[in-house]
Amino acid sequence: MVYSGKKVLVVGIDGVPYTLINKYVEKGIFPNLKRILSEGFVNHQMDASVPDVSSTSWSSFFTGVNPGEHNIYGFMELKKYTYKLAFPNYLDVRAPSLWEILDGNCSLKKSSISERYKDKLNKNMKSIVLNIPQTYPALPFNGILTAGFVCPDLKKGTYPESAYNYLSSMGYMPDVDATKAKDDPPGFFDEVERALDKRLKSYCHFLDNGDYGLFIACITETDRVNHFFFDAACDESHGFHDKFISVYGKIDDIIGRLYDVFMEKTEGQGFFMTMSDHGFTPIKKEFYVNAWLREKGLLKLNRQREYFEQIDSGTIAFALEPARIYLNLEGSYPLGCVKKEDSSGIAAEIKDAMRSISDEDGSSVIKCIYERHEVYSGDCASNAPELVCVANDGYDLKGNLKKVEFFGKGPFTGMHTRHDAHCILPVGLKPAGRLKIEDLAPVILDNFLEPDKEN
Amino acid sequence: MDHLSALENKSIFIIREAYYRFRNIALLWSVGKDSTTLLWLCRKAFFGKIPFPVIHIDTTYKFPEMYAFRDDYAKVWGLDLIIGKNEESVGSGMGPSRGSKLDCCNELKTNALKNTIASRGFKALLLGIRRDEHGIRAKERVFSPRDENFKWNYEDQPAELWDQYKSTTEEDNHVRVHPILHMTEIDIWNYIKRENIPISELYLSRGGKRFRSIGCVPCCSPVESNAGSIDEIIEELKTTKTSERAGRAQDKEDAYTMQKLRSLGYM
Repeated sequence: MVYSGKKVLVVGIDGVPYTLINKYVEKGIFPNLKRILSEGFVNHQMDASVPDVSSTSWSSFFTGVNPGEHNIYGFMELKKYTYKLAFPNYLDVRAPSLWEILDGNCSLKKSSISERYKDKLNKNMKSIVLNIPQTYPALPFNGILTAGFVCPDLKKGTYPESAYNYLSSMGYMPDVDATKAKDDPPGFFDEVERALDKRLKSYCHFLDNGDYGLFIACITETDRVNHFFFDAACDESHGFHDKFISVYGKIDDIIGRLYDVFMEKTEGQGFFMTMSDHGFTPIKKEFYVNAWLREKGLLKLNRQREYFEQIDSGTIAFALEPARIYLNLEGSYPLGCVKKEDSSGIAAEIKDAMRSISDEDGSSVIKCIYERHEVYSGDCASNAPELVCVANDGYDLKGNLKKVEFFGKGPFTGMHTRHDAHCILPVGLKPAGRLKIEDLAPVILDNFLEPDKEN
Repeated sequence: MDHLSALENKSIFIIREAYYRFRNIALLWSVGKDSTTLLWLCRKAFFGKIPFPVIHIDTTYKFPEMYAFRDDYAKVWGLDLIIGKNEESVGSGMGPSRGSKLDCCNELKTNALKNTIASRGFKALLLGIRRDEHGIRAKERVFSPRDENFKWNYEDQPAELWDQYKSTTEEDNHVRVHPILHMTEIDIWNYIKRENIPISELYLSRGGKRFRSIGCVPCCSPVESNAGSIDEIIEELKTTKTSERAGRAQDKEDAYTMQKLRSLGYM
């Protein structure tokens, strides 16, 4: 099928920072990206979503709207009117995705972006969407999709069945076993490389054989490696530095191969870009927000229960990963005791107190604290946390309920950053101002505008 | 040996093993179908007379039919019945409408049981839980240690190989013994039918509804059903299999997701 506009290939590389790309291009670790950047592309620093977790940020990327519209604030939520954990999946994404907008079939969903492009795009555009987090379970649509993290069942995570049959027969790995990173690092790196080989092979297969307008291919192994070994990224004396570089060399190979196949197929006319959902930086310390709330007397726990069901009467506020602070509102939770009219005052007090949190050497932990209305707008903004913290680099904010101390160290050496995601775009395509992850969907959709309907 | 007899043999072996190892044990009887089946198995294991006490935790919110059933059969079967009640909480008006349902359970069930165990120093309790009730139960042991706070650490349990059950525990711990862990919901109903075990009439359909599980009145809701006899319940369970599995699939996905998130430090 011929569509107006160029074919688009987006390579998503989970958690690969803008600054690291520049460093690795300079050092010769990224020869393919160096070549691509010399062929009319620019690497831009980009802001991830708030909070900068993958599920939220990827949802902002593929819907082009903020969490107040798409409804994904993290990997976990509490079930309505309870303290029971729930894990949102694609069925909880309230805004249509790029592929649903291009398909022209958003069913009952709509968003500010889908409305803006309504009747202005090619109809029935096919998309191929591989391994984007937060897309499980796969829903039928005009194209091919295999879900990324978290994908409990490859079959349910893949549409259509023929794509599942291909992926399962070629030994495709939806994810690697991150627990191995601690227990068996060499085994973990081997598994990462095996998974990357399978990704390259399957992505090339779909690129070769698939009919599409939009092709999105994501690599998520980078995030896993960064979580456990980001301290090895630039430290040549680190025991796993060579392994780390070897994985990143492979990432560069994959990007180069996909770029070459794509450009060859489109006779140099394709629209190519890469992006990440957040950056990474080394961890100095973990900071446990709930331990802090407990110490301030704002959170009461009953240790006989589990997870967030530990929340006991008298609780004013609690935090879900990573630092989404919710008030224990009357009527919203079984033991809710905060009156609606008091909530903004209480939120302001917590915000003030959190600002002054500092490490023993005096370094400030929290970079900024957003109130709900500052960062979220849309029909789902009422589901948002009251406050969201963004940390200073080096302080990994955690929602763990078990910790008693404020600060600690886990097995992780890398943490997400909001300000250092990347996006490599063709020269001249970056929208004005500081780039945000939800700006990318319009850049992609603009490409598919029907010429006579652009205005 | 037929299927039900094999299940029965296994259960009776576990019950006798628990009594032999611990001696100071008790059976927890909620009056529901599972623990009544367990009680029946205990009677068979000791030829009609259970040599240890039977505990019923009374929240005061049970169905009247359940109290009547309990009192009738405690007499018929000659049970040494202990009724555990958290008098203090009941007296202070604790209930599902005050505080959360969690607190209510915690006060009226868990704390009542804790007090009962403490006052009699029981070393082990027999419980009628089944592996197919919930995904997490897949990790249960037949002899399952609990700490003084009743906490179950599923990542640190003794191995159970070839019917070798570990029965030594820390001073403050007690062991939960699960003689019908290996039975499924439908096994229970088939066994109830074969043995003609009396069960509460709440399980049978009245006016198009029946209870699939029974407990406290405020927290139990009946399901749509016309199954008015045990045969009909068995038939119904055969055909409603899909919805049961759908529930289990969700649990399984959640368990997978939790494990994945935990491995990346998100839990």
